[in-house]
Amino acid sequence: MITKKIQEYASSLLADQVVDCVIGYEVGPRRTTRPIFVDQQADTDRLVWNQNCSHNLTVYLRQKLNDTEGRIGIVVKPCDSKTINVLGAENRIDRDRLHIIGIECEGILEGNVKQNADSGELQRRCLACDLTEPLDMDYMIGGSIERKNLPDNSTSNKLSRWLEKATADDRLEYWLSEFDRCIRCYACRQACPLCDCPTCLFEREDSIWTGSSATTKDNRSFHLGRAFHLAGRCIGCGECQRACPMDINLGELNRVLAREMEEQFHHRAGYTVELSPITTILGEGR
Amino acid sequence: MDFISKKSLESWLASVAETKKLYAPVYTDGVLLYQQPNEIEDIVWDFSRPVQSAKEIIFPQSEKMLTIEKNGQNIQIIENLNNDISVIFGVRSCDARGCLVLDKLLVEAEPVDHYYKTRRENTALVGLACEEMGDTCFCTSVGGGPDNSEGLDVMLHRHQDGYLVEIVSSAGEELFNGIEFDRQDIAFNERRFEPEFVLPSQDLLKSSFDSEIWRSESERCLSCRICAYVCPTCRCFDVRDEPGASNNGTEIVERIRGWDSCSGEAYRRIAGGHNPREAKADRLRNRIYCKLHYTQEQSGMMACTGCGRCIDSCPVNIDITEIIGLILEGEPG
Repeated sequence: MITKKIQEYASSLLADQVVDCVIGYEVGPRRTTRPIFVDQQADTDRLVWNQNCSHNLTVYLRQKLNDTEGRIGIVVKPCDSKTINVLGAENRIDRDRLHIIGIECEGILEGNVKQNADSGELQRRCLACDLTEPLDMDYMIGGSIERKNLPDNSTSNKLSRWLEKATADDRLEYWLSEFDRCIRCYACRQACPLCDCPTCLFEREDSIWTGSSATTKDNRSFHLGRAFHLAGRCIGCGECQRACPMDINLGELNRVLAREMEEQFHHRAGYTVELSPITTILGEGR
Repeated sequence: MDFISKKSLESWLASVAETKKLYAPVYTDGVLLYQQPNEIEDIVWDFSRPVQSAKEIIFPQSEKMLTIEKNGQNIQIIENLNNDISVIFGVRSCDARGCLVLDKLLVEAEPVDHYYKTRRENTALVGLACEEMGDTCFCTSVGGGPDNSEGLDVMLHRHQDGYLVEIVSSAGEELFNGIEFDRQDIAFNERRFEPEFVLPSQDLLKSSFDSEIWRSESERCLSCRICAYVCPTCRCFDVRDEPGASNNGTEIVERIRGWDSCSGEAYRRIAGGHNPREAKADRLRNRIYCKLHYTQEQSGMMACTGCGRCIDSCPVNIDITEIIGLILEGEPG
């Protein structure tokens, strides 16, 4: 149903030249759901919606807006719409050049990203999600989903509970052993729609801030540094962890920071078009 | 072939670990990698393939090439050559083939990569033949096979409650020297595997250079480096001099080489900030051409071993077999 509506609506957007391109999801030949860019009406029948539409498509917005003059249509889940709010607040995108096709979402299934989910279980972030509709959209698609899973704050698993109570030394040991697996492929950074500095601090050629080796010391500065840069900005889409070939528990790291931001600064990233309170604003001449 | 029970193999592995560095497939937090097992029992015997190929032992993600110590006017340069004697157990045929490609490019061609060569010569590869092809495997289409022993020192083929031992090289013979086999002279029936698909000819690849495929297939690419880093033949690297911890007035600089990948944005950036391969389409084409065409032309070997890791690990499902299919579709009449 939703698939059909997305296809029809995308087709009309392209026909009426409202947008130059629609970013959405398709199912590839191996039955894997993946992003697709549709700029021809004839290709709109490739667009789909299913519970494997995990990718946060907003990661492509900046490049696509640079490459085109016109407007971009984008299929947006409720959680992903928070990213658009953060990107908007940070002046990284021009909201007026977007045409947001909001999808009513019943949650995305857990599973190895790369292949389709077969566990039948909702992702952890979905169990704790309090949105069924995007926060901002130009057109809404969806019936009226009866939410089976109400926001559930008890979703923290055994590991999260252990981390909450663990001593600083134990926590450090846990995180270092996670970061030790890192091969510095930077997939976490590349999959993150909010991690888009033109030159990444951790990959500067002068290596001032951190070395390029996949050693405990350098991996630690990369991951902790990246986490700090996302504090108050990360909306918890979980793409970093989904992309990680080494299955490093980055989602948990971001959850911990989001909780701190809420407790200390009463800030939840992306619920409004508002900068994180820990962002420093440099005024004129500063 | 001679037959050895799994139990005898385990005691053989324990004896190997006493004198050499033994690497084998081991799970760490649910991720299967070639690692030094704490216990022989930790070794995983039934698996499709580890996330990383055996390459990461011989050509590690990062290695210290030199240490430069500066004390006033006195400068010392110390080479860090790794002389460990190692055995990698549980190597798949596709990974052994990957080592052959690396040998062609890093040892058999000038200039010889001294660091790779030393590690490679000091590392024996003990294979475990695959009993079936995985979902994304296509070794048979690029000249390999699940039980092909090329490039290995020893290949073990599953047989009843143990393995048939195929000694491939003199290094392999040495490893099993003096081992009492449980049974001898058991007939080995080589299994026949058919290719999954036919590869495009070198001419067709050449003429596909300006194809629309590169733009359409690269559009969803995130420009991360997973495909290259899990690939058993990707060998690009970057060398940097990085400050080490100073010690009693001695300044230390380390020369580090680490993997790099042509799928990253900065890879082809040159002096003045120009980037001849700025578009994702050009970067994807370069990677696929490197696998199927450039290396073939340079060394006569296909640089894709059909392991399928890049397909499994890509977060946005960029699939080399799908691209091959699209190239073939574009073949004129």
